[in-house]
Amino acid sequence: MNVASNVLDMTTGAARGAPVVDIRGAVKRFADLTVLDHCSLTAQEGEILTLLGPSGCGKTTLLRCIAGFLTPDAGEILIDGQDTIPIPVNRRSVGVVFQSYALFPHLTVARNVAYGLRMRGMAASEIDKRVATALATVSLTGFEARYPSQLSGGQQQRVAIARVLVLEPRVLLLDEPFNALDAKLRGTMQMELRQLIKRLGITAIFVTHDQEEALTMSDRIAVMRAGKIEQLGTPEEIFDRPRSAYVADFVGASNFWDGFANGGRVVLPDGQTVTTSLSGEVRVMIRPHNLALRPAAGQSSSWTGLIRFRRHVGALMEYEIELDAEHSLRAVALRDGSVSSLASGDTVSLSLRDPAACIVFPRS
Amino acid sequence: MSKSLHRRLLDEILSGSGIWPAVPAIVVLIVVAVIPFCILLSLGFSEITVARGVIVSQEFSLRYLLTALADPLYHTTFQRSITLALLTTFVCVLLGFPVAYLFLIGKPWVRRLILVLTIAPILTSGIVRTYAWIVILGGRGVVNSVLIDLGLISAPLRIINTQWAVVIGMVQVHLPIMILPLIAVMSRHDRRLDEASANLGASRLGTLWNVVLPLSIGGVGTGAALVFTLSYTTFVVPQLLGGGNYLNAATMIYEQVVYSLEWSKGAVTALILMSTCLFFLLVFAWLTNLGTRWTRVAQR
Repeated sequence: MNVASNVLDMTTGAARGAPVVDIRGAVKRFADLTVLDHCSLTAQEGEILTLLGPSGCGKTTLLRCIAGFLTPDAGEILIDGQDTIPIPVNRRSVGVVFQSYALFPHLTVARNVAYGLRMRGMAASEIDKRVATALATVSLTGFEARYPSQLSGGQQQRVAIARVLVLEPRVLLLDEPFNALDAKLRGTMQMELRQLIKRLGITAIFVTHDQEEALTMSDRIAVMRAGKIEQLGTPEEIFDRPRSAYVADFVGASNFWDGFANGGRVVLPDGQTVTTSLSGEVRVMIRPHNLALRPAAGQSSSWTGLIRFRRHVGALMEYEIELDAEHSLRAVALRDGSVSSLASGDTVSLSLRDPAACIVFPRS
Repeated sequence: MSKSLHRRLLDEILSGSGIWPAVPAIVVLIVVAVIPFCILLSLGFSEITVARGVIVSQEFSLRYLLTALADPLYHTTFQRSITLALLTTFVCVLLGFPVAYLFLIGKPWVRRLILVLTIAPILTSGIVRTYAWIVILGGRGVVNSVLIDLGLISAPLRIINTQWAVVIGMVQVHLPIMILPLIAVMSRHDRRLDEASANLGASRLGTLWNVVLPLSIGGVGTGAALVFTLSYTTFVVPQLLGGGNYLNAATMIYEQVVYSLEWSKGAVTALILMSTCLFFLLVFAWLTNLGTRWTRVAQR
């Protein structure tokens, strides 16, 4: 696992130097609601860091604090070691791509992109040059004279990105930038945006509630829960080694099986064992793809269930398996011959493909 | 068998299609506006001979119009009316916009307060409000008393019965009419645009000038057109605060019709007032259109 993450760091260029953004114990309260609760986090040079969590976990609040739209009640936010709290919004070297892009509807694409440069009092000839470069970067050359309402969602997003990139900000903040796009376009734009940010080597903090998006886009993911960072790690670490049942449940589909650990081992119903340092009541996370299904007919099996329904997911088949009245599991398998013969109502026997891939959490 | 005509007509009325829903309003307008307007036209453009209280002849004539157009009194009066109305409109925009901006950035209670303070004056009569200004601006009025008591002036300033009294009164009476359309625009304003502007390096003033103002042009245009029309055609305020020596076109019509009983003259003056007003409204509309061109670009 460690080897894998090191390789990843090298390929993505996330250097382990001084942090670009350093959040230290940020607290933000709205009336009596604590939205950020002593939240600490760092973003390294050139990395894409994702704040992932359900709505209300504080991720957008944290982003707005970094941008300066909100002032934390306590704690520090440093950029390149400098405290940003006293710096007004319009003096921070932080570019924000808003959820709905917030393009100026009364300005053309070129004037939207030129806006920040004009505010800095740059000469018109220099502005034209930089705007042309920025639009070329996001492949929007030729769209200069259009108004935002004349662009597609994807094009609007690229204008919003060009509008902040032209200012060469130290940090790029993206607030759910794919929300306004349809599902099909979203995938392409995610890859394109990641490549663009990597090519420019810019440090980016990206907010989303979509775990797939987070896994696609990020070098590191910070899973947030109730104003705190629940776990920080590479997408692989977050997915394969979730630190809590909360993370496991939020990132990727998960099954939870409640059992009992004794002598460093949990015995699952199929007879296989999972090792653990815990003892007593535990909860074992089993990813749907870690469950193997076989027709139960004619065999004696210790772990069986009834297929309640099955669902085609592209090349995969997803099964909802009822164990008893209260418990059910989700399993996923490639649609090869033996498994796809299974139908709703069939009884199947279950077994783990890889017991080592299971994670054991304490049951609270 | 096809339906009878009246049956089809009734169907069409009941289905609410076409112009039928507007018919009652159109009928009212024809009776109270179009017909009187035609009578006005016929009065202004005809020579009427009256003998023993009976009209003996009525012939088409441009005499009243031509006389009016050549009359220096008309020139100065209309010039004054236009200046007064434009000045009032300008001051109303200048005073109204910051209030509307405050509405945009204010907390909910500030917004409610602004709405109440804006609408309350509309609920009181303009005549009452204008009389109040006589009390305030008069020789022994509040303003002069305070200034004298403070020792800033020794003799009362002559404010009442001057152009300035008229402007002050007109601005006060018409300011709410300016603020309301602006507030309507502001309440639709997307505050994230202001955040984006600040994020891109604009100061508050920069955002106000480059984002809020251009996006409020529609409201400014509507408000300006309303204030201009009302202050160009008002006669209460100039009459009361101008003290009779500050005539505008509307007071002129009033005198021609009520005191000198020269209906044809009054009709011509009214027609000139109406057409010049229309001209200015077209100019306002043209300017507003220039500022809101982006709303009419071809959608994708």
